Amino acid sequence: MTDAAVTMDFYPQPGPGQAKPWAFPVPERGTLASGLTVLRCHRPGQRVAAVEICLDMPLDAEPDGLDGIAAIMMSALAEGTSQHTAEEFAAEMERCGATLDASADYPGARVSLEVPVSRLTRALGLLAEALHTPTFPGSEIERLVRNRLDEIPLEMASPGRRAAKQLAQELFPASARLSRPRGGTEDTVARIGEASVRALYQAHVRPAGATAVIVGDLTGVDLDEVLADTLGGWTGDAAKPVPIPPVAANDTSHVVIVDRPGAVQTQLLIGRTGPDRHDRAWPALVLGTYCLGGTLTSRLDRLLREEKGYTYGIRAAQRVVRSPAPHAAGQAWGMSVLAISGSVDTASTGPALDDVWKVLRTLAAEGLTETERDTAVQNLVGVAPLEYERAASVARTLADQVEEHLPDGYQAQLYTRLAETTTAEATAAVIAAFPENRLVTILVGDASQIKAPAEALGIGGVEVVTA
Amino acid sequence: MYAPVGHTATEQAGSGGLTATEHRLDNGLRFVLSEDHLNPVVAVCLWYDVGSRYEVQGRTGLAHLFEHLMFQGSAQVKGNGHFELVQGAGGSLNGTTSFERTNYFETMPAHQLELALWLEADRMGSLLAALDEESLQNQRDVVKNERRQRYDNVPYGTAFERMAALAYPEGHPYHHIPIGSMADLDAVTLDDARAFFRAYYAPDNAVLAVVGDIDPVQARRWVERYFGSIPSYDGKVPPRDGTLPDVIGAELRVEIREEVPARALMAAYRMPRDGTRECDAAELALTVLGDGMASRLYDRLVRRDRTAITVGVGLLRLAGAPSLGWLDVKASGGVQLRQIEAAVDEELARLRAEAPGPEEMERAQALVEREWLDRLATVAGRADELCRYAVLFGDPQLAFTAVNRILDVTAEEVRAVAAARLRPDNRAVLAYEPVTSADPPGPAGDQASAAGENDKRDGAAQ
Repeated sequence: MTDAAVTMDFYPQPGPGQAKPWAFPVPERGTLASGLTVLRCHRPGQRVAAVEICLDMPLDAEPDGLDGIAAIMMSALAEGTSQHTAEEFAAEMERCGATLDASADYPGARVSLEVPVSRLTRALGLLAEALHTPTFPGSEIERLVRNRLDEIPLEMASPGRRAAKQLAQELFPASARLSRPRGGTEDTVARIGEASVRALYQAHVRPAGATAVIVGDLTGVDLDEVLADTLGGWTGDAAKPVPIPPVAANDTSHVVIVDRPGAVQTQLLIGRTGPDRHDRAWPALVLGTYCLGGTLTSRLDRLLREEKGYTYGIRAAQRVVRSPAPHAAGQAWGMSVLAISGSVDTASTGPALDDVWKVLRTLAAEGLTETERDTAVQNLVGVAPLEYERAASVARTLADQVEEHLPDGYQAQLYTRLAETTTAEATAAVIAAFPENRLVTILVGDASQIKAPAEALGIGGVEVVTA
Repeated sequence: MYAPVGHTATEQAGSGGLTATEHRLDNGLRFVLSEDHLNPVVAVCLWYDVGSRYEVQGRTGLAHLFEHLMFQGSAQVKGNGHFELVQGAGGSLNGTTSFERTNYFETMPAHQLELALWLEADRMGSLLAALDEESLQNQRDVVKNERRQRYDNVPYGTAFERMAALAYPEGHPYHHIPIGSMADLDAVTLDDARAFFRAYYAPDNAVLAVVGDIDPVQARRWVERYFGSIPSYDGKVPPRDGTLPDVIGAELRVEIREEVPARALMAAYRMPRDGTRECDAAELALTVLGDGMASRLYDRLVRRDRTAITVGVGLLRLAGAPSLGWLDVKASGGVQLRQIEAAVDEELARLRAEAPGPEEMERAQALVEREWLDRLATVAGRADELCRYAVLFGDPQLAFTAVNRILDVTAEEVRAVAAARLRPDNRAVLAYEPVTSADPPGPAGDQASAAGENDKRDGAAQ
């Protein structure tokens, strides 16, 4: 006690009360006559419904040389339908109080709708129109292409986005779609036109093979009737599945500095590839990665933030980039990108990198502690009911499962498996994920100041590229 | 020790059946309890009535740096114990600092409520027992890296800081934003931090909300037990007066030559204070103008003129000074800002002259309503709003009726607030002109800002 002013009554730290059961919701699965799979999930009290449409259209479906066309096509779904112009469609949707997002990622494409349950029917009607009868007006496609060309330099100005682009380029061969940005480059986007957008739509956007996830407080909603009046009208034949070519990742240790003269911080991105969620070791990987860099009290932040003050936060995480159905004939294996990321002040770049490697070496030599493992399990499992209060969070996870060809009960089982994972398993998984001599390091920062310190570390040859 | 001072809200239209009760301990701590048994979770939220507007010259950033120190241990909680105990109990937690308040929150599995209350009480009552020079130095470095990461190393990252500095004159309590300046962060001493704690971290300067799967009788007992003996403090110095004329009187403008990827036009308009009907009207006016792909400015600049890449518009609600309506337009390649400004001014003039039609009002009100439903969809969101209305307006129940007030605004009120405020003589403008690193820099900016990417409401996190 250093302060005489403390005058309150102290009590011992209280223990927990009786835990109440909670389980990740299992959706009800059905199929419409059109072949559209529907997952529905009633969440009492959630007055804003969340809808996710998952299309089995990985970025490998994009024609050669047209990177970014999937994102343009998905955005264009809402830019004119047989019944509404682009302006009318946006106004109608927003009069429902709805937000509509469309995106295309490596494993699949997605339309996400959030709308008050009271206006769900109206919004689903509009969504069905966008999926079934988009008109792809030439002027709107041209506008989206121009807008995308303007957006690319804005995105690349962000140190985090620039680092991610470089890492993909280093990890994968140039021929692999995974090596190139989701939204394409100036060269590829400039080639996108109305005809190729329409062709991509015709080849891949069908109800058969697609899934609609609908989550919210569905009290008093006759969802079958609502669906019959809306998404049920979206029809079409089956699409051909997209072949996923195998890809070999390069994890030879090396360092690439993306030069940003005068930058006051260095963005770090240190990564390689790992398995997808079908892998039996996934729960151990999640647990081990959390102990390494999941939060402020994980190993990286304990040292680099809370002891050294080099950063506002360093995190380790994994992101699935391809996840075909297991044992699908002729399909490549699933894959994730594992990465340690954060920003450190320029002057601390060398010492911070040195500390990252010290953390990895110590982890490899000594492993995780039982206490670390227990705390991580308690957090990862314990926060589930908090993470899944909102309908949108539940819908997103269900949609991720669909996109990654995982069973509907996957998330619920994950919690059970996390609780069963031993310290030794978590240790083995995180050491395998982040071996100190098989990591690609991207530094976005001032090369004149950080190149020499990076070279001194012995974490691979250092190359400087322009921003 | 506690005495109910408020009322139990009856079910309000639009509140979705949410209710809350209000209480006060003898030491002045106000607390709000709200039951919701749909999920086995509980949110604990504590608002201290202190933010960057209380800071004095030479100590900008102190409120936010102090917020970091609140996670560095107290009499019974060692080191990072606050984080470790909450996360180990399956909870999540953070704190944020804005102009007008500092908030701390834990969302816990319901059976861990008592731990969260114990932790919050321990640091409210005994932080100074653990606060030391080492923590201060460490968190000073962390906050300076936070500033670099969120403001200084991001294109347009200092726009919000610059805009506030223009819209609120020198010496005004909102002239600087919560992150503070590097020089002032360097200057903070342990004595500054101790004095700050004594002045503002007292039970009579805080509101606690507990929302979720609770037994209210039990929750009241715990609040009384853990917080009841913390002494109150009656020496708090009120913040400097934030009153300003309704309009600036003439356009203020700064041209910024920086390494940014595109030209950008940003503007801040002085708007009515939070808590007024005019402020709700202002939110709808800004929504009509720039929120969504069917908004007037998106339709005009992005869709029709094709002069803009993105349009962002929003309202930073403030209770102790005029609110700030902001506009952020990124120019398409080759387009001059004067072309965008002329179009923006035409759209503002149209809104000042003529009330929006019924379909536009329906759109704006539906969007704002959904945002409210979203905010109230989680126990943490509800706890934060209850605290907000209790601290800033003295009545937490207003959180449950906020959406009704938005829906009650008329089109003519929207036009009227636009006519009064959305005028060229009531704005502070930042005009960004890109330069490459080879070009000479433009006029040195001594402040920063946040554009659409940055959080307008809070200065910082954890």
